Amino acid sequence: MLREFVPTTSLRSDAVTVGGLLDDLERRFPRLKWKLRDEAGALRRYVHVFVDGVNVTRGTALATPLDGTHSVEILHSIAGG
Amino acid sequence: MAESKVRVLVGTRKGTYIVESTKARKTWKVGAVSNPGREIYHVVSDPRHPGHLYAAVNSGFWGPILYRSPNWGRSWEEVTTPLTEPSKDRKPMFNDADPTAPVPRPVQNLWHVEPGHASEPNTLFIGVDPHFLFRSDDLAKTWEPVKAINEHPGRKDWGPGAGGACLHTIIVDPRTPKRMHIGLSAVGTFRSDDAGEHWHPTNAKVECPFLPNPYPETGQCVHHVALDPDDPDVAYRQDHGGMYVHHHGMDGDWERIGKVKGGPKDDFGFAVATAASRPGRAYFVPLTGEARTTPNGGLQVWEWNDPAHKWRTLMSPRTFAGDYGVHREGLACDRLDPAGIYVGTTTGQLVLSPDAGRSWRQVPFQFPGIHSVSVA
Repeated sequence: MLREFVPTTSLRSDAVTVGGLLDDLERRFPRLKWKLRDEAGALRRYVHVFVDGVNVTRGTALATPLDGTHSVEILHSIAGG
Repeated sequence: MAESKVRVLVGTRKGTYIVESTKARKTWKVGAVSNPGREIYHVVSDPRHPGHLYAAVNSGFWGPILYRSPNWGRSWEEVTTPLTEPSKDRKPMFNDADPTAPVPRPVQNLWHVEPGHASEPNTLFIGVDPHFLFRSDDLAKTWEPVKAINEHPGRKDWGPGAGGACLHTIIVDPRTPKRMHIGLSAVGTFRSDDAGEHWHPTNAKVECPFLPNPYPETGQCVHHVALDPDDPDVAYRQDHGGMYVHHHGMDGDWERIGKVKGGPKDDFGFAVATAASRPGRAYFVPLTGEARTTPNGGLQVWEWNDPAHKWRTLMSPRTFAGDYGVHREGLACDRLDPAGIYVGTTTGQLVLSPDAGRSWRQVPFQFPGIHSVSVA
């Protein structure tokens, strides 16, 4: 689904937090802005972030630290009807 | 009406459809869906720019996004979506220390797009949840909040309706861009005489059956309002608290026509519309107050004749038997004579009359649940 706004499925980033990573993505792919987070900075309802396979969305979330060795996956819930 | 075509713009739970016919309105062609899978709360054409359509697209995945088509729906592009002032520190916004202080909130859903006055061809308005109004003067390149509403001192007392805290009705008086009317769920209607710099409530004598004071200054759950095509000082209102007419620009008391003898048994509903070729008439789709579906076993459209001060039903409930819902944007009229009347139901039926209600037919296509019907 993200491919509508981001033409690649993987990339590298020097961001030091998950929030910083999203900022980086939004700079590189302007159409992504406001699609993953709302104006208050909260992740949108069905967005989940995994760091090294662990879902951090409801935990450290955007403050989760990154050091360049982590694998981050941004996925949408298969939800709705 | 552009060219010789009549275009019905249908916003549904699962995308946008353009349904076309000739001015005869006998057979209809349903185009391919656009924005598939997304909730389309409102689709509207801009008569000042033939071919321009706007779709208020809401997605549980991506949030609210405003789209425009430059070519009658053949293609769509994302334009700037109005947003509240982003949080500079990216922290969630709340104010426990002072619950009465205004708290900026993200835009939840886009509810209604309204082209501006004919004399201001690049002006657009959009109403959103949470009860915000935005204005663009460059055809949606940028948006400015209408602060007199978005920072209204009464906001601390404003709550959401069942569909959310939606600003769902925006009317620009065709005589002057300075006069506007807006409708907010569970708050009521307001009028401005200076292009949105100041607003005053216009809810006098509209009943609030769900509040201790049944006639407050604000708190009414207005569902929709339409102006008379010949006299913009005459307005017809479908409110949670009944069906009303006003003859003085919404200043002063509304008159409850829903209780006039010969009218619908229950004057609850969501939609109201007027037709350019039927001045003095307003169209309503009555629903039962509890189930919010059509009474008497079938879809019905009622016509209020304001000069004669009386009602008539345009459709037997046996014509389309069943229990239907119709949302506030689910009723529209075209500008032809005889008037075309169009009803979109929450179960995906698009029903229409090409002759001001004398006969009715259904477009033979099962749409997803319909939120919005408008005609270009």
